[in-house]
Amino acid sequence: MILEILAIGLIISAVLALFLDEVVYSVAALAATFLFTALLYLENGAIYAAIFQFAVGVGTLSILFLSGEMLSEKSTKKTSPPKMGILLGAGVVLSLPAILFSVSNSSAAYSNVSFGDALWNLSGVDVVLQALVILTVALGIAIILYERRNGGQ
Amino acid sequence: MDFVILSLVMMAIGIYGLLTNRQLLKVFISVELIATAATLNFVMLVPSIGEGLGQAFLILAFSTDTAVSAVVLALLVIVTKRYGTSNINEILKMQEKQDSEAEK
Repeated sequence: MILEILAIGLIISAVLALFLDEVVYSVAALAATFLFTALLYLENGAIYAAIFQFAVGVGTLSILFLSGEMLSEKSTKKTSPPKMGILLGAGVVLSLPAILFSVSNSSAAYSNVSFGDALWNLSGVDVVLQALVILTVALGIAIILYERRNGGQ
Repeated sequence: MDFVILSLVMMAIGIYGLLTNRQLLKVFISVELIATAATLNFVMLVPSIGEGLGQAFLILAFSTDTAVSAVVLALLVIVTKRYGTSNINEILKMQEKQDSEAEK
């Protein structure tokens, strides 16, 4: 029952994040989407994933709130109550297929690999390579912003 | 309750938003939703490939997602500062105008 409620909340908040007119409210709805996702992970026993989703979500959202306030044009257009009702209804309807139907195979071939083993022993090379890629991306962004700042624009 | 269908629905919502929204921030939100939908599948994989492996894949996917978000946000800030708007249609019009002026 809890999973179904979380799924409905997830889809409703995703629909609201995309179709609300106010950018700040959209970002707030995206925050709800991340929260529901983290709760879904927690409910499925994926504790590390839930914590990671929560941490990444907080970081992304704080930057999004800032850039949303900075970059968006100030518009007086607000979401009307009927449109809000339609969005909520659409969210509920869209979440029904996930609750009512099932396509995945439930045969469980459970392997007892612990999280630490899986991360460091089985995919340790991936972790190191990905850290390098992310470091390169961060350096690239810093260089682009630095060059733009020095370019006089 | 099926996570595959849930992630498919979320991905469909994200793709629809990506195609219909004209604001750059909304486009970014759509990209975030698509990434969340993709990573949601790893929770479904947990019973079949094992909890540890599923979460490890999930965390690797998250890291990539965060890097992509950082790049998209940096581009978004640069484009908005340069053109003074975050509407894709207006940016395209300005770019066409600049190109035609450069040709003259």
